[in-house]
Amino acid sequence: MTAILETSSTTATMRRNFWSGVWRVMKRKPSRMVGAVLMLGFVFMGLFGPMFYPEQLDRDPNAITRPPSWEHWLGTDDQGRDVIALVVTGSQYVLLAALVTAVITVVLGTGIGLFSGFKRGRWDNVLMRFTDMKLTIPGLPLLLVLSTVWKFSSAVQMGLVLGLLGWGGVARAVRSQTLSLRERGFIEAARGLGLSTTHIVGKELLPSMAPYIAMNMLIAVTGGVYSQVGLFFLGVLPYESNNWGQMLNTAVFRSGALTVPSALGFLIGPLLAILLLTLAIVLVVDAMDEIFNPRLREE
Amino acid sequence: MTQQAPGVRIDGLTVVYKTPAGELPAVREISLDLRPGSITGIVGESGSGKSTLALSLLNAVQPPGRIAAGSVEIDGLGDVVGLRGEQLRKARGKHIGYVFQAAQNSLNPLKTVGKQLLDLGRSHGVDDLRGLVREAKELLGRMGLDGARVLDSHQHELSGGMRQRVGIMLALVLNAHLVVLDEPTTALDMITQANILKIIREVHDERGLTTLVITHDIGVVAEVADRLAVMYGGRLVEQGPTREVLGAPRHPYTKGLIRAIPRLVGDIDEARALPGRPPTLATVPKEGCVFRERCALRMDVCDTVDPRAVADGPRIVACHAVEGAVDVTVDVKEHA
Amino acid sequence: MITGTGVVKTFKQRGKVLGAREVRALRGVDFTIPKGGAASFIGESGCGKTTLGRIIAGLESYDEGEILIDGQSMSALKPKQRQPHFRKIQMIHQDPYSALNPTRTIHQTLYAPLSLRARQTGRSRSWIDERAAEVLSLVGLDPGTVLARYPHQLSGGMRQRVVIARALTVDPEMLVADEAVSMIDVSLRLGILALLKDLRERLGVSVLFITHDVATARYIGDDGELYVIYRGQVVERGAVDTVIADPVHPYTQSLLSAIPVLHGLEQPGEQPVTPLESLNESQSDEGCLFARRCPFRGERCTTERPLLRLGEGIPQEHACFYPERRSVIARPMSEV
Repeated sequence: MTAILETSSTTATMRRNFWSGVWRVMKRKPSRMVGAVLMLGFVFMGLFGPMFYPEQLDRDPNAITRPPSWEHWLGTDDQGRDVIALVVTGSQYVLLAALVTAVITVVLGTGIGLFSGFKRGRWDNVLMRFTDMKLTIPGLPLLLVLSTVWKFSSAVQMGLVLGLLGWGGVARAVRSQTLSLRERGFIEAARGLGLSTTHIVGKELLPSMAPYIAMNMLIAVTGGVYSQVGLFFLGVLPYESNNWGQMLNTAVFRSGALTVPSALGFLIGPLLAILLLTLAIVLVVDAMDEIFNPRLREE
Repeated sequence: MTQQAPGVRIDGLTVVYKTPAGELPAVREISLDLRPGSITGIVGESGSGKSTLALSLLNAVQPPGRIAAGSVEIDGLGDVVGLRGEQLRKARGKHIGYVFQAAQNSLNPLKTVGKQLLDLGRSHGVDDLRGLVREAKELLGRMGLDGARVLDSHQHELSGGMRQRVGIMLALVLNAHLVVLDEPTTALDMITQANILKIIREVHDERGLTTLVITHDIGVVAEVADRLAVMYGGRLVEQGPTREVLGAPRHPYTKGLIRAIPRLVGDIDEARALPGRPPTLATVPKEGCVFRERCALRMDVCDTVDPRAVADGPRIVACHAVEGAVDVTVDVKEHA
Repeated sequence: MITGTGVVKTFKQRGKVLGAREVRALRGVDFTIPKGGAASFIGESGCGKTTLGRIIAGLESYDEGEILIDGQSMSALKPKQRQPHFRKIQMIHQDPYSALNPTRTIHQTLYAPLSLRARQTGRSRSWIDERAAEVLSLVGLDPGTVLARYPHQLSGGMRQRVVIARALTVDPEMLVADEAVSMIDVSLRLGILALLKDLRERLGVSVLFITHDVATARYIGDDGELYVIYRGQVVERGAVDTVIADPVHPYTQSLLSAIPVLHGLEQPGEQPVTPLESLNESQSDEGCLFARRCPFRGERCTTERPLLRLGEGIPQEHACFYPERRSVIARPMSEV
């Protein structure tokens, strides 16, 4: 009994060590802290932001397409709604879809890449030919075609489609990582000791690729944001709810933000949001290598 | 231009590396003479500072490292520590040939050996490139290779032993008379190693060189070197004529190192491992003798005072126990 | 006891454009390693010694022949059924840096195989922690300080000890040590060798030592057998001291002649054998495999392949038509 306690307490200590290590790594560069704070801000915005605003945003018919002012920091849109409020309420769809995209990309990509690289042989051939085929499908045209039959009214659907289109690159990269890692002494030793494949893949291979997978995940988030914003901006999708891409579309094509200075705030709002999100992710990605490598973490 | 084998005088050389824990010395107050026409072997384990010392000869210590003190006087070149930029680049190759550690892997995999030779010639402003190629073929031929074929080959087409020969050729082809070989036989097979060592010896004699061989393997030095210098924790602990040092080592580290080599004949159980482990940059003691943690002859004075290098004829040893040979016996008993 | 008969392994390299090239790594090798015994495979890189070691450890398949582990034929079993047998044979890799997962602590590294073992043998979890401490103590490490560490916090020598400890977790009958000390600091090598020797004596684990350094082979098992391997064929096989003191195959003699002589301590052998160096030429498979490099080659050698046999009053097996004793190894000065 004591032994079990001991073991569980060692894992608990190790977990604590890990998080204090993460904290140390983040503290090393102020930029990382800025990135992390920004990212938390976006999470907060996506989760709770819309709660601060009424279901139907106030329209002010006397203040249509206004430049920034004390009352409306980034101005108003063509219906007299506050741009910041639009950005905040619109974030939910964008962020949720991006997150779903990233999760699907990484889970599928890592799963297929790991399996392919570890099994090698026939499975590898089949899976990689499949991946190649998938990689040759051009994403944007396919989305355009899909959008004619599908409305993407929910963020999850959007994320699902983008994710299913996006895992190919990750799968290839993870496979090549797996191929090189499986030749390492410790993987061979694990096989020689008779450890199960589940253990080898889950406990030996995956942790070694953790920084890589985490980075891909974060980058997939930005990719997800870009593609959906792009789709809405092009106006190929009918929008039912408010989101950043649709804001850009309206700002440029209906309010003429590129020529009318008073609509500039309307354009800048969503752009700034996308920029800050990308910046946050880039700043945090920089820390991944050090977080998952014990040597760099402890130093 | 006829050159003579140059002499090299290293005096009080200290090289430090910048680390989060401040500047730490990788090489500390080393003085060493390379006599003209001699082969000197430096033996040391990882972290002993031997490679850093070799790089200092070319003033090629890379940041975060820097030469903090001392001088390296090379005949016909002056103090290398003071050389900068273009002068320095010219000196490398023309005066000093360097065969890098793992020369097997230091060739450009995308270019043939011949192309790399021409690049080398051009960057040193050699006008007679034909002459250079002729010289290269001659050198390769001397080392038992088909020069024309090797110059046409890429790195992957050559075996380890052949690459090592190419490395030696590139170091010598500009007519350098001071040659530094860093771990020239690591990762080579026994028979290839024996051949390379023989070639080093022969080429050294034929071309009238001053040669410095850096290695972790006492056997390599024993085969080629006239003089042997032993490094530990950034210090030179013992030096002298190879045969004398091997036959009657004085420093406890040298003794331990020789005893730790299993031999082919005799009682195998006489081989003994050295206790402890070699220090790293961070764990080298700041004061006192660097070897004391592993030393059987440790005395009180070793903890605080760095032993001086004391010369006795051709031999130089830095050890309190050797310096005060008379007191030692008493002290050893006290601390045993 | 592990025995092999006529083990053949051929690697097929995929050709660039035209067809596949076959590399014959092993050409019918026989071996016997008794329980608690010792054997050493000696040869240059590429001779097949590592491939043979990996086959014995179950990490590589073989094309022909038979391997018996404690009397059980491996060829008769399905791959999945072989695992419990091959578990008894654990490999110690050359590189202690890649042999441990850098993202896992030593505790985690030892815990995985031990918990598997506990499940197989129906032992409690408390046994796991006890046993982890026990195997670490066996290899001379302090469990208290080592368990919570990551591999990068240990020196090369300590890592290799952890690797050995990990192998011991599954109660192996044999350790296959492939150049297990070549990447470790010189002063620490003997400590690892002594550990292997100690494990042999204390636990009755047999040791298969794969190396190009004949002297270290002697340290592990002076009661063991030496297999000299050249291009996939055993060319000389016998008791360690017999083969070292009185080698009869010219290849063995070349290997022994190539060992550096510690001048000052030792006197070189009187009849050193220097083979022609093989410089990556495509080698003929006809006749004796060593014939092209052999300085004593006769008429028969280029047409007929000598097989490993006993005879002509020579105590060890040899694969040479003209076996002859030659004094090749260095002797200590004191003996001369």
